Amino acid sequence: MPQEHGNKIALEVIVNGQSTSVEANLNAPLHTIIPKALEQTGNAGQPPENWELRDQNGVLLPLETKIEDFHFAAGTKLFLNLKAGVGGSA
Amino acid sequence: MEQYVDPDVSRRKFEREVADYRLHEREYRRRGWLLLRAEFPEVMVVFVAANLKPPAIVTGALLDYTNYDAAPPSFLLVNPLTEEPYKASDLPTWLKRQVPGPAFPIEGLALPPGAAIPRIVSEQPLMQWYDADDVPFLCVAGVREYHEHPAHSGDHWEQHRRAGAGRIARLLEVVDTYGLRPITDYNLQLKIEVVGFAQGQTPE
Repeated sequence: MPQEHGNKIALEVIVNGQSTSVEANLNAPLHTIIPKALEQTGNAGQPPENWELRDQNGVLLPLETKIEDFHFAAGTKLFLNLKAGVGGSA
Repeated sequence: MEQYVDPDVSRRKFEREVADYRLHEREYRRRGWLLLRAEFPEVMVVFVAANLKPPAIVTGALLDYTNYDAAPPSFLLVNPLTEEPYKASDLPTWLKRQVPGPAFPIEGLALPPGAAIPRIVSEQPLMQWYDADDVPFLCVAGVREYHEHPAHSGDHWEQHRRAGAGRIARLLEVVDTYGLRPITDYNLQLKIEVVGFAQGQTPE
């Protein structure tokens, strides 16, 4: 069961469809969970800035905002996906 | 497409893809992604604009994981009822994205210190084609049709495979971002046609 301890919270990050639990610092900006989630799921080859994070409703989340300010419950699902990147160039 | 990878390997990877998707299927469905069929090597998904009243089916998408993940999946927008790939002339969405163009300095306009010079912003479709009868392809790395296109011969699948660029949820997110999310309402056209005159009482 995901828990919240002091200034830490466990969030469920679904990386391109694959789930992992990330321990996040409530005082840190949201983008800090991205490298951890990528490492834990073995996603390599694309830097953190090529990814985008959404909530369960598909709303894009501002990555510079402090995690505490989102008022996430422990175990909240966040969806991390590669940006579309290259497009319209054919 | 011919299966040249050991079919058991591709099938196992396909089944893992589908199992990962099923774990979060409830969330995906709430966003309007309906997985209708997942039988190796194909996944058929229908996209619904869930914010409309009544909700509207926008498009179908057919993913083909033949030879996965030695090769990326094929991704086509298809008729959600017949699964026939859309021709360019019939596409219900072009998956348009904004692309910042070159800076556009305006002569005589003094900008405050630190202000960015205005840029021209254009729209580009992620669905690409040449003729109206072509079946368009999704111009995104991680898609078979993208990597097979001669214009992308320098952008190999191997550079994107380990980042999960061909995974189901990732590709569906692209359609959601550029095809579903921009839809805010129905676009109605009311056509008024004069068909005659309103009549009072007919005289004797």
